[in-house]
Amino acid sequence: MSLLSALARGAEIPIFAATGTRGLALVERLARRPGLRLVASPRHARVLLVAGAVDAAHQRALERLHAQVPPPRGTVWWQAPPLFARGETVAGDDPLPAIRRAAMANDPDQRPDVPPHPWQGMGPHGQGGTGMMGGNPHGRPMAMTAEDIRDGLALDAYTARFGPFLPMLPPGLVMDLTLQGDVIVSAHVASPPFDQGPEGDRPAPCAARMLRLMGIGPRAARARGALLALSKGSGTRRRLSAWLRGEEVTETPEPLPDALPGLEWAEAVLWLASFPPSRLRAACMQGQAA
Amino acid sequence: MIAATLALLLALPLLVWTAAIFDRIGTGRGATVLGPLRSGAALLLRPNTPTEAPDRLNRLLAPGWYLALALVGLSVVPLAPGIVASDLSTGLVLWGACEALTVVVVFLHGWSPNAPLPLIGAYRYVAIGLPAMLLSMFVLIGAALPAQSLSVLAVVEAQRDLWNVVRQPLGLPLFMALGLAITLRGPFDYADGAELAGGTSAEESGPALAMWQFARAAMLVAFSGMAATAFLGGHLGPVLPGPLWLLLKTLAVMAATVAAGRFFARMPPARMLTLLWVVLLPLSFANLALVGVTVLP
Repeated sequence: MSLLSALARGAEIPIFAATGTRGLALVERLARRPGLRLVASPRHARVLLVAGAVDAAHQRALERLHAQVPPPRGTVWWQAPPLFARGETVAGDDPLPAIRRAAMANDPDQRPDVPPHPWQGMGPHGQGGTGMMGGNPHGRPMAMTAEDIRDGLALDAYTARFGPFLPMLPPGLVMDLTLQGDVIVSAHVASPPFDQGPEGDRPAPCAARMLRLMGIGPRAARARGALLALSKGSGTRRRLSAWLRGEEVTETPEPLPDALPGLEWAEAVLWLASFPPSRLRAACMQGQAA
Repeated sequence: MIAATLALLLALPLLVWTAAIFDRIGTGRGATVLGPLRSGAALLLRPNTPTEAPDRLNRLLAPGWYLALALVGLSVVPLAPGIVASDLSTGLVLWGACEALTVVVVFLHGWSPNAPLPLIGAYRYVAIGLPAMLLSMFVLIGAALPAQSLSVLAVVEAQRDLWNVVRQPLGLPLFMALGLAITLRGPFDYADGAELAGGTSAEESGPALAMWQFARAAMLVAFSGMAATAFLGGHLGPVLPGPLWLLLKTLAVMAATVAAGRFFARMPPARMLTLLWVVLLPLSFANLALVGVTVLP
C-alpha cells in the first residue's frame, strides 16, 4: 500500500471542469498545464473545478455533480462565486495551487446519499407498472416501446434531462431529450448555454473542441482527415473547415427542437459544437422567448 | 507450452506498460515513462462508485473478461518455432472467437452500470463491432490460405520465404481497423469516446476503471502480437533470436496502431457503418480473392 501511495503522489490530478459563464476560455488554457488532466466524467475526477460563474438556478445540478465525484474529493471555484460551502475560491488567473490543495482535501457530502426521487416501484425489479413494464420507479418514466421515427421499428423511447455540465454539450445547455437507441426523437431546451463572450467564438479553440469530440488533436486535422470524417453536404464540415482556416463562423443554428430530432447522438453533439457559443446561445434564447 | 505461458504472463505487464507509454508519447502530458504507473496507482487508491440498480455481477466481471480474452488471444501467438502457449490446429479460430467475444464484453461493460451514456456506447459498439469482426475474419482466412492451415504455427512457417504483408498488402491495413476496434481506440472508439463522456467507462472509477484500462492495453498487446505473427512473419528473422524478432515486430505494430488511432478522426457511427459495409468489407473480399488466385496450384 505504501508503495502505491508513494507512486500515486506523483500522478497528475484528474479534474472535472464544470464550465460556467465565460469559463470555456479558462478551461482551454488549463488543458495545457502539466500535472493536470481534464477528464470527461466526474467519476474519473479527484477535483471538481467550477470555472466561471454558474447562476443559482443550476445549483442543484452542481451539487449532484459534486456528489458524483468519488470521495475523497475537493472543489475549486475559479472566477466563480461559490454556490455552496465546499472548497476554495480563486479569483486570480492561476488556480493551480488551489487545485493542488483540493487534491489533498476531503469535502464532506453536500447532498444526502439518497436517490434524487423516492422509489415508487412495485415488485422485485422496481419497475412500478404491471409485469415488467411501465411506471416511474425513481421518478423517471421507464423506457417503453414507441414507433421509431426512421424505419418503422418499435424501439424503446427513453426520456431524460441532459446538461448543464455534460462535457460534450455546450456548457449551460440543458435539454430534455427523448432517445431511441442513440437517435434523438424529440428535444426541448430547458436552459440556454452560458454566455462565453467574444473569446468563446475564436476559431482555434472552437475547432479544437470539435476535433476532441472526434478523438483527434488539431495537428492531425491539418491532414484534412477530420473533414473527410464528416459528411459532405452537412454544415458541420463547412463550419469546421472555416475554423481550421482560421475564419470566424457567423451562421446561426435553426431552433434546436427542429434541428435535433432524427440525428444520432454523435451527429447532434458535433452539430451543436459546430456553432460559435454566442450564436447557439442566441438561437436558444430566441426559441425560449417564442 | 508451460514455458511459453509463463513467458507471456511475465511479459504482459511490461508490454502493457510499454503500450501505456506509447499512448502518452507526444501528448504533452510529461512523465512519459513513470506517468502510467503513477496514474494507475492513483486510480487503484480511489473508490469504486455505486450506480442505481446496476447489474453487479457483470459490472464486476466485464474488465476481467476483457483481460482474459486478451490473454487467450495472445496464447496462440508462437514465441519461437514450436513454442506456443496454446498449440492448437485451429489457433486462428480461437483468436477469432476472442475478437467476437470482445464485442459481448464491451457491451456488458456498458450495459451493467444502468446509465444512459454507457448504454449508448454499448449499443453503438455492437453495431460497429460486427462488421469490423467480419472484416478481420476474411483477412485472417487470407493469411491462412498460403499455409493451408488454421494453425498459427503453420501460418508463420508459410511466411519463411515471403511475409504476408508483401503477399497481400491489403491484409495488414484492414486488420489494423479491427485492432483499433477491439482496443477501443481513435476512429473505432464508439464505446468509450469523448462524445459520450467516456461511454461504457463513464460511470466507472477506482480499481474497476484501472482494470478496464489495463485490459484495453493488454488487448493492444495481443492484437499487435497477432498482427506481427499473421502478416510480418512472427518470430522469423535473421541473426536475432526468434522471441526478440517477435517482440520488435509487436512493438512496431503497437506504435503504428497508436499512431493510426491519433491520426484518423472518428466519424459519426452511421457514416462509419457505410464505410465498413460498402468499402472495407468488399476490399477484404477482394483481398481474399487475390490471395486465393495466387495460391492456386
